[in-house]
Amino acid sequence: MSLVQKGRWITAVALVCLAAVYVRALAFTPVERLQGPAQKIFYLHVPAAIWTEAAMILVGLAGIFYLFLKDPRLDRFAEASAEVGTVFATIVLTSGPIWGKPVWGTWWTWDARLTSTLFLFFLYVGYLLVRGAVRDPGLRARYAAVLGICGMCLVPFIHLSVFLFRTLHPQPIILKPSAPSLPNSMLATWLFSLATFTLLYVGFVTQRYALSLAREAQHG
Amino acid sequence: MADVPQNAGYMMAAYVVTAVILIAYAVSLYRRTRNL
Repeated sequence: MSLVQKGRWITAVALVCLAAVYVRALAFTPVERLQGPAQKIFYLHVPAAIWTEAAMILVGLAGIFYLFLKDPRLDRFAEASAEVGTVFATIVLTSGPIWGKPVWGTWWTWDARLTSTLFLFFLYVGYLLVRGAVRDPGLRARYAAVLGICGMCLVPFIHLSVFLFRTLHPQPIILKPSAPSLPNSMLATWLFSLATFTLLYVGFVTQRYALSLAREAQHG
Repeated sequence: MADVPQNAGYMMAAYVVTAVILIAYAVSLYRRTRNL
């Protein structure tokens, strides 16, 4: 089985799992009393946010290793991870305001978490634009690696921004030093969703990596 | 006890938007690979 076929199969399984997440979240997970049904956006928003940040960390790590090893596989992986990270960032930046409107009374506020996440999205877009603009493969990979490392440095700031600044965005209820403050039924749905987004990331990155490989083979 | 807020429309909107984004990207990957 070729790499692209593996990627397609993983993506197909992930999309079936996503349908199951929808069914479990919408029909079999209790409604939170204070926020109402809008709280269920949490099951998509938070896993997408985790993979938006994780994808940029992986882009940065691949960039660091590329600068030392000059291995084109690392650059190819970074490109794939950045494109998938952009997709997940788009989900975060659309589902977040849709959740914010009924709960906060506003679609958007320029607080530290939201603004830094928007900045990360722009970094992703900038990263992809730089890759598209530079023709020389070696130069392109070096510029992209440096931009990826900058993006990676932004991620801890995004995660800690809710502790460092007074924000409308709530503090983490799962990724924190103490135990998650969620009932087990909600936690199980969230973990299922996180596993599904992980599978989506792997499937998408595998396909995108295979696409880069095929393009390189085509252009010699 | 306060009534649960009636905001299921927002929830449905977020779920639909997420599905559209993910499926659109999956289709884009498929088409880009096929058109090589």
